[in-house]
Amino acid sequence: MATLPQLIEEDMVRVDTVLREFIQQADAIAALLIDKGGFLIAQQGEPGEMDFTTIAALASGAFMANQTIAALVKEKDFNSTYQQGETFSLFVINVDHNCLLVVIFKSQSGIGVVKYFATAATAALAQQLALAAERAPGRGFDLSELNLANPQELFRKK
Amino acid sequence: MAIINQATKELQVKIVYYGPAMGGKTTNLVQVHDHVQTTQGNKGKLVSLATSSDRTLFFDFLPIEAMTIKGFKTKFQLYTVPGQVIYNTTRQLVLRGVDGIVFVADSQYEKMPENVESFQNLVDNLNTLKLNLGDIPYVLQYNKRDLPNVAPVEYMDFLLNNRDVQVPAFQATAHKCEGVFESLNMITRMLLQKYVAQATPQYA
Repeated sequence: MATLPQLIEEDMVRVDTVLREFIQQADAIAALLIDKGGFLIAQQGEPGEMDFTTIAALASGAFMANQTIAALVKEKDFNSTYQQGETFSLFVINVDHNCLLVVIFKSQSGIGVVKYFATAATAALAQQLALAAERAPGRGFDLSELNLANPQELFRKK
Repeated sequence: MAIINQATKELQVKIVYYGPAMGGKTTNLVQVHDHVQTTQGNKGKLVSLATSSDRTLFFDFLPIEAMTIKGFKTKFQLYTVPGQVIYNTTRQLVLRGVDGIVFVADSQYEKMPENVESFQNLVDNLNTLKLNLGDIPYVLQYNKRDLPNVAPVEYMDFLLNNRDVQVPAFQATAHKCEGVFESLNMITRMLLQKYVAQATPQYA
């Protein structure tokens, strides 16, 4: 299975810039770049009471479930989901093989503008992720600073 | 596959609790959530997508941050899968991006066929995702050891732990939080050691 490339400063600066510009253009509350496995990679916008980590896990699960349903009805061109709420709405769109863009916006804003600007944003995000993959396709993890001296201390019982 | 972000010095790993229905997977997460010692703010909410009868429908999810790793913020995402046979597609979805697995087996004698079936189902589902169990760190947890009709550990090892490489197996009584942290710490240790090994330069 393809994996997400290792991300460096340059990647994150670019991703953050794309997300920041996108939420301004689309008048969104927040934009999250997430992995299809459920990880939150980058975020822009004010979380307020929202728990972005959990939203990322649930949004990826919901998207993947919908994609599976689409495949069951022989729908090949499936790349986004839209959850319409009374106050806030959620739009999730495919970025590339590994990632999704999650957009949280006020329902009164309308989905049209979000979809319109999301197209350019996902293309820019996909391009940066492809660059990262090209830079170091098979690079391992540099975890030299990890301290494994006492891993039993990782999680302790109260 | 774990996500490493060099810019923010974050490592995110996904651990999935797998096993037959009613084996205690959700109980493991509940116990970790209730008893883990953390500094303020690095334990997330336990999210449970369950039916009205408390059976896991999609998954349970617990984000948690480890305490003692220098340099990197290591964020763990603990998931369970629904155990019932009919939810196989859901199990495949949850396994996507998995880094480590805790297989929670039910120690009761009559549950052995279900344990074996679930373990084989794990292997099959990983294969569907083009993953191989041999490449993924996993531990076994023999749960419900407090019940009277449990199978001997040796028998469970014979059924579930007789592959080329034997993995660590823990006896547990999850609802009393016995064996829960032992399993979690071991899988975490195996995971991190795998990544450190990958980072070590290879010499011909």
